[in-house]
Amino acid sequence: MRKALWVFIIAAYLLALSAPLWAHHAFSAEFDANKPVKLRGNIVKMDWINPHAWLYIDVKEGGKVVSWAIELGPPNALLKRGWTKTSVPVGAEVLVDGYQSKDGALRANGRDVTLPDGRKMFAGSQGTGAPGDTPEK
Amino acid sequence: MNRLLVAGAVAAALAIAPLATSPVLGQQAAKTWTAPKTPWGDPDIQGWFSNLSENGTPLEKPAQFAGRSLEDIKGDELTSIKQAAQNRTIESFAGPLHAPEDWWQKDLNMVKGSQAWLIIDPPDGKVPALTAEATARQAAAAEARRANPRGPADSWEDRSLYDRCITRGLPGSMIPAIYGNSYQILQTPDYVAIRYEMIHETRIIPLDGRAHASPKIKTYMGDARGHWEGDTLVVETTNFRDEASYRNSNGSTLRLVERFQRVGPATVKWSVTVEDPKTWVRPWTFAMPLTIDDTQPVLEYACHEGNLGLRNILSAARSEEEAARANK
Repeated sequence: MRKALWVFIIAAYLLALSAPLWAHHAFSAEFDANKPVKLRGNIVKMDWINPHAWLYIDVKEGGKVVSWAIELGPPNALLKRGWTKTSVPVGAEVLVDGYQSKDGALRANGRDVTLPDGRKMFAGSQGTGAPGDTPEK
Repeated sequence: MNRLLVAGAVAAALAIAPLATSPVLGQQAAKTWTAPKTPWGDPDIQGWFSNLSENGTPLEKPAQFAGRSLEDIKGDELTSIKQAAQNRTIESFAGPLHAPEDWWQKDLNMVKGSQAWLIIDPPDGKVPALTAEATARQAAAAEARRANPRGPADSWEDRSLYDRCITRGLPGSMIPAIYGNSYQILQTPDYVAIRYEMIHETRIIPLDGRAHASPKIKTYMGDARGHWEGDTLVVETTNFRDEASYRNSNGSTLRLVERFQRVGPATVKWSVTVEDPKTWVRPWTFAMPLTIDDTQPVLEYACHEGNLGLRNILSAARSEEEAARANK
């Protein structure tokens, strides 16, 4: 019985051969499109882990500091774009636009992560805060 | 012992390969190009490969191309089809529930894709009809689901092998996705090794003509044997576990025959013939090129390292159930 169900689910995935828009996980199973969040916080650490990296930020909320975890993309893709461990400055202030987890925990997907001056983090081209950009004077 | 030694040699070659330069990319795609050979005389199909630009290509021939052959769809027409596929892919990730698009979109270049669909046999470009046995098997599976309905995340076992960081199987491990499409092929006289970045697989394929493993031994990636037919590496894989058997086929009777042929300075043509007399009325074949790309080496993708998403998917499903109960 269980096996039959498995086979069905796997078939659904393998059928994706003809609709090859895979990312590793469907964020829609984890996060709630009805719970948008905008978080301004400071980077505590970035976990360069597979299959998806996580960015941890401290957000000040009414005198308290609340820690949020932000799910990002796969580290290998960033690495191949030139990002390294030292490219994500601890302490830097970032603005995260995302959606909170369905279970209500302080986790969100990082739809956009921007620096205070509006530059997008994790973008790979010139002028977007990526490593290799001309540093600001 | 000998097998262990050779496997060790392959592993060592894998470890030092990133330090080696590819002699192939140094060659010009001149009319005089001849397929390279290894020092021991086999055709040389080694290198780092990517097939990212083949992402978005439909498996079956779309209805709009009825009466036309794969070779007919080229030039501007092909480019516009690929551009549309690229646009669709980007649009499909425009919703709120994704990671930042910069993570992968700048590398996406489907316009370089080389074909309008993948199936090259049968000539109609369609997956052949199912056998009566496969139809009955699928009906029984559907009935079992009706009798014992389950949600998409009742248990981790309800998630795909891919979500669970187990495997993308075969041929899934070489089907392009939006990222992670890096492969490496390495040869010795006795073995070929194929590495797949996503999700962390290496196949070490013996070329010495040994028999397949016992039918009692079944694995997610199957049991592969290779041999050379002229300039083509032929890899025959059997002994699949049912839950990893391609397109609901029978893992015990599925036979995948892959062909790797160097067709240009930077191109290896990869085709897969899918045979399972318990599932399809005839064998069928799809193909795509793999392009040598030294800028896309296989990086480690230790998928279990932090597969927090799986836990979060399960806890999301539990909280949705709780909310549903509270609303009753």
